[in-house]
Amino acid sequence: MQKEFAFFPGCVLTQAAIEAKMAIEAIAPILGITLKEITGWSCCGASQAQDVDPLATLVANARNLALAEKMNLPLLTTCSTCLLMLTRAKTQLDNGQKERINTFLAKGNMDYKGTSEVTSLLWLLAQNAEEIKAKVKKPLSNLKVAVFYGCHSVRPQKDLNFESSVNPTSFETVVKALGAQVVPFEKRLDCCGFHAVYPAEKSVMKMTSGIVNSAAESKADCVVTPCPLCQMQLDIYQDDAQATTKSKARVPVIHLSQLVGLALGIDAKKLGLDYNVIDASKLA
Amino acid sequence: MKFIIDRFDGKKSYEQTYTVEKKDIEALTLLGVLLLIKQKQDVTLNFTASCRCAICGACGVRVNGHAYIACDSKMTELFEEYGEADAFRISPLANFKVISDLVVDWEPAMENLRKIKPALVAKAEFSEKEGCRQNQEEFDRIIKQWDCILCGCCASECNKLTADHADYMEPFVFTHAWRAANDSRSKDPMIHAKPAVTNGLWNCVHCQECANRCPKGISSADDIAGLRAMVLKKGLNSGVGPAHAKSFYTDLVEDSGRLNEIRLALRTEGVSTALRAGTAITLMRAGKMNPLEVFGGHTIEGHKDLVKMIEAAKAATKE
Repeated sequence: MQKEFAFFPGCVLTQAAIEAKMAIEAIAPILGITLKEITGWSCCGASQAQDVDPLATLVANARNLALAEKMNLPLLTTCSTCLLMLTRAKTQLDNGQKERINTFLAKGNMDYKGTSEVTSLLWLLAQNAEEIKAKVKKPLSNLKVAVFYGCHSVRPQKDLNFESSVNPTSFETVVKALGAQVVPFEKRLDCCGFHAVYPAEKSVMKMTSGIVNSAAESKADCVVTPCPLCQMQLDIYQDDAQATTKSKARVPVIHLSQLVGLALGIDAKKLGLDYNVIDASKLA
Repeated sequence: MKFIIDRFDGKKSYEQTYTVEKKDIEALTLLGVLLLIKQKQDVTLNFTASCRCAICGACGVRVNGHAYIACDSKMTELFEEYGEADAFRISPLANFKVISDLVVDWEPAMENLRKIKPALVAKAEFSEKEGCRQNQEEFDRIIKQWDCILCGCCASECNKLTADHADYMEPFVFTHAWRAANDSRSKDPMIHAKPAVTNGLWNCVHCQECANRCPKGISSADDIAGLRAMVLKKGLNSGVGPAHAKSFYTDLVEDSGRLNEIRLALRTEGVSTALRAGTAITLMRAGKMNPLEVFGGHTIEGHKDLVKMIEAAKAATKE
């Protein structure tokens, strides 16, 4: 397993999902992974900035990738939208845009070469599931988990190029390695609506509520997601979403890194479980 | 192996299972299988298909809840995709009204397509005599979007349409609006872009299903982003959607280089929205947000250089 990474936290990990940063930093040393945060990383554009200026967004991500290259390390992120934005930027750069974009990066004495690969926490864990399994201290055998991939973990498949987008297995592989039970969950590949919570609020609340209710019907103890934006949407907005559809169900929604931490026997406080809005304390 | 097909006879919905020998269908496409079932087992099974070569777009159906065009889906590929499954569920496209079995009603989608005026409204300089020419580069700009065969796969899986049809249109409609608006011969891009705005352009949820399911590799999500950038440049920038997108850009370029959720909420809707104010309070109460960040976060190292790079890119596009 690759042990050292240029870590790209993404904006959400600095504040709204601060517990995801705590959790990934708590699990990394136990898994033997060194995360070196990229100095000066910028917002990836969050699947929004390209609506205003696609070229500026590409330039910002070329710079982010170039910063990782300077560290001679592959880039790792845990946010699926960052993953998609960075992966798409890399594809564009490696397929004809490199020279042009480098003329702009030169203004800050930087240069994109294409030497750092982009990966996610989910992919890294899935590729090393056996190694993870061996490190489990507290198998989660009584925990029923609804795995929620999040759109940008799997779609578009041609951009992410990791696994089938209609029949992915990476997440189940990881959760099973941790000893937890994966419950059948109808909405595991649905969209939480996060990116349109402002302009299409009514639809998004319906989507969020549908996912929570689907997890409740599956008798899941919790929803787990690799994407901190999905976690934020399903957790922070859960009460509002359930109110709009007059649903009573409440299900804790935790980050993949928090679930891994629980299986590694890390204290709930260190995993930031008390930051989760829907009470997740019973999972510890 | 089994094909479980969702059927509808005009009054009631039911599922019907057809059993076929795997060896008999291994060399077929999904359309081949549907034709085989119709010919050998059940003449009443209804579906639409025509060209058999991925040009007409008539044979869109769902396999295990994901849209495909049947004639362009080899059974060997489906076996691989679904891990040697011994049963497939075949259903009509989602987000369309079902007429009979796998046949759906296209009229509401066509009505939406008409809204964005998909036909060319040519510049005044063109005439019947002189023609309406464009050079190769201009044609290449819109060639991908011309590939759309109106199969409906994007619409079937669109999470926004599933949540609510009322304030949105099928993703391919936005692709045709982009194509018409970016046609060098077009008199005014806004003829096509404006109706896209008034019919939900800013309501896309970014689920990427459209880009993922298009059998022609078109990304309606990208075309939606392209239309958004176009209308913002033209000054059509009022409303929550534009304010939301612009706040990300502002944080990236003009502020710290990173996004702040509270500033985002305030910039997008102001303090007037109860739900959003509630969210900010929830975040602060959970201890995740420092309210002082509203007044400007910690600026990233190298931000001045980032701005220089973006300014250079902007200047180059103006040249």
